Amino acid sequence: MTYPKLSRRDWLRLSAAGVMGSSMSGWLETLAADTAANPKRKRACILLWMTGGPSQMDTFDLKPGHANGGPFKEIKTSAPDLRISEYLPKLARFGDRLAVVRSMSTKEGEHGRATFLMRTGYQPTGPIQYPTLGSLVSRELGAEDAPLPNFVSIGPYRFFNAAAYGPGFLGPQYAPLIVGDGNQFFGQQGRGYEQALKVQDIELPGGVERVHADARIELLQEMESDFISNHPGIAPLSHKTAYDRAVKLMKTEANRAFNLDEEPPILRDAYGRNLFGQGCLLARRLVERGVPFVEVTLARVPGNNAFGWDTHQQNFQAVRRLSEVLDPAWGTLMEDLKQRGLLDSTLIVWMGEFGRTPKINNGKGRDHYPNAWSTVLAGGGIKGGQAFGKTSADGTKVETRPIAVSDFLATICLALGIDPLKQNNSNVGRPIRIADKNAQPIKEIVA
Amino acid sequence: MGRIRLSVGLVCLALATSVARAAPPPKASPPPDDVATLAARIDRLIETGYVENSVEPAPLADDAEFIRRVYLDLAGHIPRVSEVHKFLDDKATNKRLALVEELLKGPHYVNHFTNVWRALLLPQNNNQQVQFLAGQIEGWVRPRLRDNKPYDQMVRELLTAPVVFNRGGMPQRNGTDFGAIAFYQANESKPENVAAATSRLFLGIKLECAQCHNHPFARWSRKQFWEYAAFFSGIRPQQAQAGVFSQVLDDPTKREIKIPNSDKTVTAHFLDGKEPKWKDGASTRATLAEWMTAGDNPFFAKAIANRLWGHFFGLGIIDPVDDFGEANPPSHPQLLDELGQAMVKHKFDMRFMIRAITASRTYQRTSRMTDSSQEDPRLFARMPLKGLTAEQIFDSLALATGYRDPQANSAGGFNRFNGARAEFLLKFANNSDKRTEYQTSILQALSLMNGTFIANATSLDRSETLAGLLDAPFMNNRQRLDALHLAALGRPMHAREADRLLSYVERGGPSGDKRRALADVFWTLLNSSEFIFNH
Repeated sequence: MTYPKLSRRDWLRLSAAGVMGSSMSGWLETLAADTAANPKRKRACILLWMTGGPSQMDTFDLKPGHANGGPFKEIKTSAPDLRISEYLPKLARFGDRLAVVRSMSTKEGEHGRATFLMRTGYQPTGPIQYPTLGSLVSRELGAEDAPLPNFVSIGPYRFFNAAAYGPGFLGPQYAPLIVGDGNQFFGQQGRGYEQALKVQDIELPGGVERVHADARIELLQEMESDFISNHPGIAPLSHKTAYDRAVKLMKTEANRAFNLDEEPPILRDAYGRNLFGQGCLLARRLVERGVPFVEVTLARVPGNNAFGWDTHQQNFQAVRRLSEVLDPAWGTLMEDLKQRGLLDSTLIVWMGEFGRTPKINNGKGRDHYPNAWSTVLAGGGIKGGQAFGKTSADGTKVETRPIAVSDFLATICLALGIDPLKQNNSNVGRPIRIADKNAQPIKEIVA
Repeated sequence: MGRIRLSVGLVCLALATSVARAAPPPKASPPPDDVATLAARIDRLIETGYVENSVEPAPLADDAEFIRRVYLDLAGHIPRVSEVHKFLDDKATNKRLALVEELLKGPHYVNHFTNVWRALLLPQNNNQQVQFLAGQIEGWVRPRLRDNKPYDQMVRELLTAPVVFNRGGMPQRNGTDFGAIAFYQANESKPENVAAATSRLFLGIKLECAQCHNHPFARWSRKQFWEYAAFFSGIRPQQAQAGVFSQVLDDPTKREIKIPNSDKTVTAHFLDGKEPKWKDGASTRATLAEWMTAGDNPFFAKAIANRLWGHFFGLGIIDPVDDFGEANPPSHPQLLDELGQAMVKHKFDMRFMIRAITASRTYQRTSRMTDSSQEDPRLFARMPLKGLTAEQIFDSLALATGYRDPQANSAGGFNRFNGARAEFLLKFANNSDKRTEYQTSILQALSLMNGTFIANATSLDRSETLAGLLDAPFMNNRQRLDALHLAALGRPMHAREADRLLSYVERGGPSGDKRRALADVFWTLLNSSEFIFNH
């Protein structure tokens, strides 16, 4: 994709001169507004996915003093107008880089459907295989011949909705490389993440020496070129490409991205010695090496009875433990990215499938609540230090600017320099936009 | 263990001694005339297309190519070495027809098409929980395929199935009831979902777009969508929050439905504009079923004919096969018409259509491109490459490597959720409709290259097939290589690759070890495009 290089001033001048037609989509306007960042700099996105539906009332939209508020206190952040939960102190130091969206309002309250909705922007009706955000974004931002896969998913919990983690109609070449597949590690008490965060099957099996592995690849290449010359077409070509990329991943330096023991122990401690913490560290390493989309899932915290953020009971105890994993990981991630000069070009998205009920139930828990909840955007492309949208004093209703999933995803696109209205060909033959055409991105929080 | 070695050994013995076994030609009966007639008709109409488009068609596939293709298409896996050998040696003139007959009679045909129909009847994976209903759907499909129940009857049974469990007590333990109910549950017991699914599956019409607004490309209006959905208006879930696990309720004579977000209510109407004749006592769904499966229904027969064509050729005469409409014209309209008429005439016997298709020259053409004019797959000038389903891949690998699942039960069923096969199915699930444009992912490549399954199958210590080969003392390396090719690809080495491979083995590969070199070749074959595609 080639972008015309316009500064905001140029754009305004040309627009006034009538050069710009009114048929331009809002995208061009965005790019022109994006003067601070160099259009050539490769952007990246890290999605922090909170399985189960994180409680907004106990993280980013507290209501201290109200009966619904619960015992958590608010603390100040580095931004004067923004306060968040007391159990997110490391993150609070980056308040000036956070934009909290408090007026999320969606319609799905069931895990499977809501997961699909938030991760694809569409409801899971019928046969259209909508792609997940990572596939859409990595397709736009990634290079075809990159040594590492352009979309990596760390520790996903896919049981609620496997299709919400897949490339859908974009096809398998846009599927994520998955490490630490959440299903298997559900029973782990926090240990075993070391092994989990490696690419499966990237190592030669025991008993096969390197020389034989190389010889095999050579034999295979000879066989393949013979087959392809007689059977030209997409399918064998895709096969060859996948193998070439897999071999590249095995052989080149690229695979070292997954060697976390290259990192100083003190840094690994700071992220937190658990799947999510080390997963965030891995995300930083991947982004550093040019991967445009990495998602890290927080689905389990050792010692918690609740499943992930699905805190129907004992909400406060559980959310505190979850925050004690989330905060060091995310806080250190922000710091780490900043020190490496990557924070300005890396967008961080924090969300789950819905929020939780303001009213506390009999089990000291909170139940599913999509009517009014919070998400957070941080880092590159974002005007931080603010909370966008307001909920009522009791937390039950959105008072200003309700944000639907399409609005939110369009905002993400804008921050990454992607056209949310771009169409892709779906499996039913109908072109599908990245975000719904009526989406209203939150321009106020995009830099 | 011994059996594998013995059979591999016997095959190799036969090769080694080059004895043309005088197997008596099987007494296959002459093909029924209708099959031959329709096959000839298919060829005639396809060949007209060649002439009109100046296409030089590819030659017919040789026996090795044919047997592998037809096994994958009908039985869902590659042929065993012994089966290849038997077929290649067979001197009967109509052995290809006889092979099809043999496969149609076998249990693997039933298994494979049960998998195919299950994948169609269950909405694809958008809701994970739906997969729990897979077993019940299969339980419904399997006996019907086994008994070759006419397709129109199957559809009528599904459409009119009673969906309500027995009041109060246990639901009927009759597999039939559970299976059909599972179809409705998989669609969340919602009329609009059932409508979209049945229209797509049985009429080849994708109505989904028209659910919310007039269809942008085709002629279907929103009103028409809901008039069709009204046939299922009696269906509703008992507990909406329970999702696919909710019991289903039914109001059999209800035939009106309210269009959501409006105050309009519409009555059930057929898609071709015909007025339903409501009979006393007949349920709404029965009225629909009668219209849908009637011989003169404009969509039904062509839809199934097209779907079967698509199964064997990788793409339909109308492709995608569930998207009939002006924006998607048939590549050979007259052929499609005649195939539809043939289905009606033969009372929707799917096996008849399968026989006719596989008897045609068009089906039997090689997949090798021998002329650039064969490039457009829609002209069927050569057999397109077809991607395999995850089940086909695993079952073929298992056969090629002599793998036996420790968890397989005596009926040959596999554990759906655990074990090597289940893991494989997860890794190789491919949601793409376009089998001719099958995409391989990096993880899949890694899994085949370094994964445990292939590692075991190519290990000198752990692989039965390799062990059998290496231990047979009367075989030379050329024969060993041929045996590996037969096991994995269903053919001996080509002349052009034989020298290269033989010299590789003779020098023992990079470490001077001939046994390791043979293992390397086996690994290569299992990772090749030639293995992983149906060609």
